[in-house]
Amino acid sequence: MTDAPVLQFTSVTKRFGARTILNEISLSVSPAEIVCFVGPSGTGKSTLLRCVNGLEDIQGGEIRFEQSRVEAHAKSIKAVRKRVGMIFQHFNLYPHLTALQNVMLAPMVVHGEKREIVEARARELFEKVRLSHRIAAYPAQLSGGEQQRVAIARALAANPHLLMFDEPTSALDPETVGDVLAVMRDLALEGRTMLVVTHEIRFAADVGTRMVFMDQGRIVEDAPPRQMLSNPTTERARQFLSSITG
Amino acid sequence: MTTDWLSYLPLAISATGTTLWLSWLALLIGAIGGTLIALLRRSRWRALRVVATIYTELFRSIPILIVMFFCYFGVPLVFGVNFSPFAAATIALALHASSMMSEVVRAGLESVGRGQWEAAQSSGMSAVQVLRHIIGPQAIRVILPPSIGVFITTIKESSLASIIGYIELTRTGLLIRENGDGGLLPLLALAAIYFAINYMISLGGGALERRFHVGGRLTMAGAIQ
Repeated sequence: MTDAPVLQFTSVTKRFGARTILNEISLSVSPAEIVCFVGPSGTGKSTLLRCVNGLEDIQGGEIRFEQSRVEAHAKSIKAVRKRVGMIFQHFNLYPHLTALQNVMLAPMVVHGEKREIVEARARELFEKVRLSHRIAAYPAQLSGGEQQRVAIARALAANPHLLMFDEPTSALDPETVGDVLAVMRDLALEGRTMLVVTHEIRFAADVGTRMVFMDQGRIVEDAPPRQMLSNPTTERARQFLSSITG
Repeated sequence: MTTDWLSYLPLAISATGTTLWLSWLALLIGAIGGTLIALLRRSRWRALRVVATIYTELFRSIPILIVMFFCYFGVPLVFGVNFSPFAAATIALALHASSMMSEVVRAGLESVGRGQWEAAQSSGMSAVQVLRHIIGPQAIRVILPPSIGVFITTIKESSLASIIGYIELTRTGLLIRENGDGGLLPLLALAAIYFAINYMISLGGGALERRFHVGGRLTMAGAIQ
């Protein structure tokens, strides 16, 4: 691939006090890649995503997003956040706003776009996530799966160049997981660049272009999903994958 | 028993106005100051958090009357600046109100889950935008009921200004009583006026609470993280 990377980690280290969460992580993500992060909990997968948009700062190394350096506490972080959409495990919708308002807020407030333009685009996004009938509902009136699809629409509203999903289906009832994964599959088919932290191995295998196995703050293995699933090169990955695929 | 109480009505009305003006100023400064202190307590810098905490603990623990004495008698001694009784009373009431309000606002801000900050910040909002569009509207529902209490307390405590010689409602009532033939009526009138003011604030607060609660259709479910 000759495309310039969207995202580049160079020896990134993240510590919380004495604990090392990310240990010299190096990683390069090209446009249209769908990178699925798997591994035991507490190995830094979510933290890695949160470093990309400066929700966490780093103690060593360098992160570049579309050539510009990511610095968590610098003013420049806003420019990065405008181009990166994030979807959280617990949705984090704004409970005092309707689904439509949730989606429209950032484009209007952050990007200064006109209401009519934003609303038209928001309605299209609700169609895309198959929730046009729930546009006026408040988050508390929506099921978990519906809330997460609103959150996806919210992340898409600002036309991000990179989408990050932090365990998007872990807090959902099993019967609503499929709806969310279906929407994510559509996004993958559009050629979006996506980072997905997930325990849904089947989704990762079907949709992911790349699977990254992390353990204890390090990238242990990085390969196309099917290759890693059928033939993991490390013992640690072999153990973990067989434990969750059964 | 020949005192014509009605002739004191204009005086009572203007004295009520004085008390409202004093309390209003103190509350305005207290609410703005309290909000700033509450925000400082969440600052990224430890020194600011410590200063804000000391401020809050100090002024909510010292009796308002003592602070008032410090402003009125102490400041001229130490700094050579004279405060009028009005200025001393306003400052003392505002210091106390802001320390109380900072705790109220802090509780309100803390009632909004961290996930809300993260989602809003991730979308590129500045801290001010996050506060205005996301945190403020949710926190206000937690902040409003106890701040009505702070408002009522401040109006009652403004009567302490009478002790350093500021002629507000309480002082006026007591002067009228001495000027007339003593008795209970001026005291009853004072109590009635304070009650009327505070009861109206209470009613107004209740109406505001209902407005911000948007018909109970919201739960905090989405905000819990």
